[in-house]
Amino acid sequence: MVFFLTKRLIQSVFVMLAVAFLAFSLFRYVGDPVSQMTGVETSVEDRERLREDLGLNDPFVYQFVRFTGDLLKGDFGYSYRTRQPVAEMIASRIPATLELGLVALMISLLVGIPAGVYTALRPRGFATQTILMLTLVGVSIPTFVIGIMLIFFFGVQLGWLPTFGRGGTVSVGGWETSFLTIDGWRSLILPALTLGVYQLTLTMRLVRAEMMDVMQSDYIRFATARGVPMGRMYFRHALSNTMVPVITIIGLQFGGVIAFSIVTESVFQWPGMGLLFLESIRFVDIPVMGVYLVVIAFFFVLVNLIVDLLYVLIDPRLRISDVS
Amino acid sequence: MSHYLKKSFVLGGALSLAALSVQAESFNWASKTDPQTMDPHAVNSTPVLSFLNNIYEGLVRRAPDMSIEPSLATSWEPLEGENGWRFNLREGVTFQDGAAFTSEDVMFSYERASSEAADTRSWFSPVTDVRIVDDYTIEFLTNSPNPLFPSSIANFMILDSDWAKSNDAVLPAKDSENFATLNVNGTGPFTVASRDPGVKTVLVPHAEWWDTPTHNITEATFTPIGNSATGLAALLSGDIDFIEPIPLQDVEQVESRDGFRVIEGEETRVIMFGFGHEHDTLLYSNDVTDTNPFTDPRVRLAAAHAIDIASIDRVLFRGKIEAASQLVPANISGYSEANQDRPAYDPERAKELLAEAGYPDGFSFGLKCTNDRYINDEALCRAAASMFAAVGLDAQLSTGPVRDYWEQLRADDFDMYLLGWSPGTFDIEHPVRFLLHTQDDEAKLGSWNFGNYSNARVDELLPLILKELDPAARQDMIDELVKITQDEVAYIPLYTQPLIWAVKDNIDVTQRADNFFMLRWVTVN
Repeated sequence: MVFFLTKRLIQSVFVMLAVAFLAFSLFRYVGDPVSQMTGVETSVEDRERLREDLGLNDPFVYQFVRFTGDLLKGDFGYSYRTRQPVAEMIASRIPATLELGLVALMISLLVGIPAGVYTALRPRGFATQTILMLTLVGVSIPTFVIGIMLIFFFGVQLGWLPTFGRGGTVSVGGWETSFLTIDGWRSLILPALTLGVYQLTLTMRLVRAEMMDVMQSDYIRFATARGVPMGRMYFRHALSNTMVPVITIIGLQFGGVIAFSIVTESVFQWPGMGLLFLESIRFVDIPVMGVYLVVIAFFFVLVNLIVDLLYVLIDPRLRISDVS
Repeated sequence: MSHYLKKSFVLGGALSLAALSVQAESFNWASKTDPQTMDPHAVNSTPVLSFLNNIYEGLVRRAPDMSIEPSLATSWEPLEGENGWRFNLREGVTFQDGAAFTSEDVMFSYERASSEAADTRSWFSPVTDVRIVDDYTIEFLTNSPNPLFPSSIANFMILDSDWAKSNDAVLPAKDSENFATLNVNGTGPFTVASRDPGVKTVLVPHAEWWDTPTHNITEATFTPIGNSATGLAALLSGDIDFIEPIPLQDVEQVESRDGFRVIEGEETRVIMFGFGHEHDTLLYSNDVTDTNPFTDPRVRLAAAHAIDIASIDRVLFRGKIEAASQLVPANISGYSEANQDRPAYDPERAKELLAEAGYPDGFSFGLKCTNDRYINDEALCRAAASMFAAVGLDAQLSTGPVRDYWEQLRADDFDMYLLGWSPGTFDIEHPVRFLLHTQDDEAKLGSWNFGNYSNARVDELLPLILKELDPAARQDMIDELVKITQDEVAYIPLYTQPLIWAVKDNIDVTQRADNFFMLRWVTVN
């Protein structure tokens, strides 16, 4: 187990280096940071001096090596835009993104799994057909349109929920959380729904397909013949056996939710990492963009690792093979 | 990792003021961009200077009509016998931390704002020396008579020297942060109670402000909202009281709802097309590859005659733009009334001019435009391209975000390009200095003259205009200069861009043509 973990962690360093390299090779095409950092009246001479000071005239490979070298030393650099330490900027945005992603995930699981089971057991029911159609509509509409529609309906027309931001947050040991205030939860609902709709649909359809498959299998027939109670059969015997593929997909999707909550964060002015990344692109804030992409790569690696560990928990056969 | 800054002395001041005022009013406003820094000398950009003008003050300040009025200086006069200005400073002014304001702070701020680390140093390029006469008198010496100097430093904000020194913020932070990046200590009407960069900034009144407050705000919260639709929803839902700008297409929606209104005005920004005057060939032409037709003034004039501003106004801007004849709008000092006609929309004349210049069938060329910098910039360029096409000028349009646009223009990668210019000094000398004077990096002239338009007489007139003290003689020279650039069609000035703000009905705000938003002119009813 320890060997497995160490191996994965070493792999993750290479993944992050590769991401950093790719990102850096693209930054040259994003734009000119110096034009963003200076006003119109700044002289050509001053602009050139700034460019030189920032090391932007250095060859690409040299810039990349300096960036990764500083990163390995734990020096994440300073933002071109705000001059703040990048590590601090990103760290202060992580809680918002993670909490949003978690609530979106919860919505997708708590609604998606029961709905998947239900639609598998009653494949021809009217409710099933309605649910399937609604979720199809849900995935077909782009995220930002869903977000804007929710904002205008619940925020502007009905006035029930806030239209932007995180509302009241409480700092718990430096972690700004929305979970402890009513205002925080009210602000979470719309963005989490927006972000969760796609995941919800995916989870539901996956659970449904797997369930239908499992329900056809021999052991369920035998269980039925043996008179195993329905509830126990559906959830203990059938559902557990659908979970391995479901967890794989949900895990990978969760990485995506964290990484690409950019659209949702922008629509709701949600102060997470995605919004920070968008602002950084607009200002060609290379240090922030670089560190953000590396952090996101790390998240992906981490989520994959957790998924692998969950397999072992869910599927006893993997535990046995591990012992042997 | 708490990034909130708490200031007990500020809160104390706010509480005492709240007790005095009849009603406590909080005010929430939003704009597209968060000020990058709280340091008044680090970044010379509108979002930063506009925001910090609520906190810091200069020797002079601008009134709602853009005129210059006393601020930290009560009066100023030209020096006798030498070039420069004497400023008589206001007595009894205190910074937000309670320190007294004296000429030493002005001296310190001058040194800071003109240092190599500052982005504001170009304001002080005419300054040769600064002399403290006494605690409340200071003199700025300039290299030649400089009648515009007092108005050119309206955004030169004064820091407390002791505060900056004791907090290790003697110079603006360049590649890392320092104390002044996040903390403030000005003499202005408001101070920062808390700041979470990119998320929200809370301002409270400065109780010891020297001037009589005309606002009734007790707490003002600023939120940057980058997405226009989100910003509009935030206003309509009542979460915020004021937002600028809102997109043109949303104006009707705001106006149609009870409880909101739209405030429109002319910004000072003139939108124009520029040419590659010194390019030998066209870069993006399919047919003309050995020469650059735009070096012929007749071809440039033909392009100007092809543009139908009235249609652009009606179709793209809902009648909210003002056609421009020169590089500044009429409310800017030095505007040449003698030259207020622009080339009329006349496609037949355009075709004749092209034929005279040897291009009876026109030619193709590249047109570069931004798509996220000016209001409807991409749509404008599409409309212009089809207008050019009607006279035989086949514009190959390429549009892109502003973040790599200037770099392309600096690399001469264009045949014709879109540019908007707002005169920072609110005088016509500004665009002449940056857009019309021949490129000269050493003298810091013509730095935005991408196509390098060059006319010896224009170059000769600029320094004369800068130092002429007699308004009539000065205007004569300006009229001559504008006439030359119009005759030669140095640029095609198109129109002045509108300012569109949206506000709740119970809020009074004052719109200034430089798009600065001053909290001290806000009343919550």
